[in-house]
Amino acid sequence: MSESEPVDTATTVSPAVQHEVEQLLYTEAELLDSFRLEEWLELLTEDIRITAPIRRHTHPGTDQPEFSEDGYYIYNEYDILRERVTRLGKEYAWAENPRSRVRHVIGNVRVTEVEGEEYTVLNNQQVYRSYGDATDSETLSAQRETTLRRVGDDLKIADRVVYFDDSVIDLKNLTIVLL
Amino acid sequence: MAQSADKTEQLIEQTGEKIGKGKFPFQIYSDDAIYEEELRRLFSRTWNYIGHTSEFQEPGDYARRYIAGDPYILTYDRDGEYHALLDACKHRGAQFCTADKGNTTHFRCPYHGWTYRNDGELQGMPYKEESYQDLDPGEIRLEKATVERYNGLIFGRLVDEGPSLEEYLGDFTWYLDLLVDLTEEGMTVVADPHRSVAPHNWKTPAQNFGGDNYHVLATHQAVFESEGLGEAGPWETLPSAQERKGDYNHLAVTENASLSFLVNYDTDTHMGYPDEVTDYYSSDLTDKQRELFSQSVYFFSTLYPNTNINHAISGGGWGGPWVQIRTFVPRGPSETEIMSWWLVPKELADDEEFMERAYHGFETTSPGGTFEADDLSVWAGIADSTDSVTLELNETVGNMEQGLEGMSDDLETVDDPLFGPAEVQRFGGYYSEAGARNHLKHWHRYMSMGRPELDGSETDE
Repeated sequence: MSESEPVDTATTVSPAVQHEVEQLLYTEAELLDSFRLEEWLELLTEDIRITAPIRRHTHPGTDQPEFSEDGYYIYNEYDILRERVTRLGKEYAWAENPRSRVRHVIGNVRVTEVEGEEYTVLNNQQVYRSYGDATDSETLSAQRETTLRRVGDDLKIADRVVYFDDSVIDLKNLTIVLL
Repeated sequence: MAQSADKTEQLIEQTGEKIGKGKFPFQIYSDDAIYEEELRRLFSRTWNYIGHTSEFQEPGDYARRYIAGDPYILTYDRDGEYHALLDACKHRGAQFCTADKGNTTHFRCPYHGWTYRNDGELQGMPYKEESYQDLDPGEIRLEKATVERYNGLIFGRLVDEGPSLEEYLGDFTWYLDLLVDLTEEGMTVVADPHRSVAPHNWKTPAQNFGGDNYHVLATHQAVFESEGLGEAGPWETLPSAQERKGDYNHLAVTENASLSFLVNYDTDTHMGYPDEVTDYYSSDLTDKQRELFSQSVYFFSTLYPNTNINHAISGGGWGGPWVQIRTFVPRGPSETEIMSWWLVPKELADDEEFMERAYHGFETTSPGGTFEADDLSVWAGIADSTDSVTLELNETVGNMEQGLEGMSDDLETVDDPLFGPAEVQRFGGYYSEAGARNHLKHWHRYMSMGRPELDGSETDE
């Protein structure tokens, strides 16, 4: 279980590919925001892994990585993701009952690597969450590194690391719709 | 809600009077003045968990930790000693710790450059001869908390009086050995701690994990209804939760801790560990401790006031077995930081299959965990409603009567060395709130003491 930090360099892909990649991320965001999670699962490959490593705050100049290489808040493969979706569909899943109102704003989409049928894609995001009649809404800021794989005519999500900007998670709880 | 000093003392007194009968004033879960007194009367005196020795490999290693809500730096010096230093320069109060962990022999204040050794002694300051001719640096040191260790667990407290750590742990050590000293080489922390802040009072999770089995079916019903998650390892040898009789669930209560544990009377269980774990058992364990562990499914415990130690189940989609130490760091009457460390027996740390299962168990109690996410939602509601004027004006009391005499025909006090030295209840109804009551009795003992007088690191002239 080890991840490296994202590299902030863009590579050149055709406008058509850039468009296709962005549209997939936007569609996915809409499915997460509206809790259409069964449809969201269809965007994932069966060998998907989604991880959210623990962020540290480190000294400038230290050789310690800014993200833990062996500690995660989330480290899930398809089976567990599928279980999480099923669980959130239950009436008694208090984590999301009542449902949060979630809004992904996705930007800075860059394809950083093309290898065979796979694209490595970085995006920044601000995920807003409001729930119940509470006025103290939450924002989770993050950068995602996603591997998209061409499967037939479609692009599918084959791997994802979510790099949180906070070293202390300040949320009511962390459900998968916020990733 | 701010209260007059009298009102604060009344709430403390009421809690002491009522808790034996299973009642308590709701306000103590959200009152500002109560919270401020908890920091000063309770957390200053009790042993607060601040780290594990396996996190400190090299002399100079340090980590940011908290005692009584205050920012401390836990350091490991070249003599192998641990120090808990308040992160406040004795010159003008600036902070100098700029990372959550690292390695250094000295801390240099960014404000004027005063420099301290990692044992807290002032080393020097810029232009000393020109600026502080008569000042003796040997008389200045950072404020320090008292630090003691037990089996790798490091604790700190502000006062240097009262029971030693081992005395404070008391009969709980018998169980603690099973939780964190199971194998000969001991436990090691894996990775950095989870850190998350959420809206609830620190007492809520402390009591939840110190014996509240009752909440599991309601709060976590969605987990049990999910096919893969509901799958269970050692649970499968048990009747369903509804059918379960009193032979399995136990609640052990000691002076300063409570823990619930489940046994299934099958000596091949050992919590779902690989079978070779029995080869690794620590030579310090007694036959009774080994026997109990061999039949165990889970232990969930709270060492009062706010340290949570779990050594828990292996089951289906839950992963595990996993060991976890958490501290519920007070951040305000309605705000708590949960710092959570994952530990594994050193002998199994290279077993990839085990590590993967253990991680999945640990993840269930992360802020996004399939269990914890539901708990957190419920706890937030408690923080919000216990602050209400209605409860205050009505002097409304809450209910913790479960397990009191007359409440259950199935409740049984067990006197069997297999279950250790604590007062152990085995309960037919599955449930007893003796742990939560005991937590508030402990709270009341300390809150009745008034504020401690500390000596400080220097004497006044």
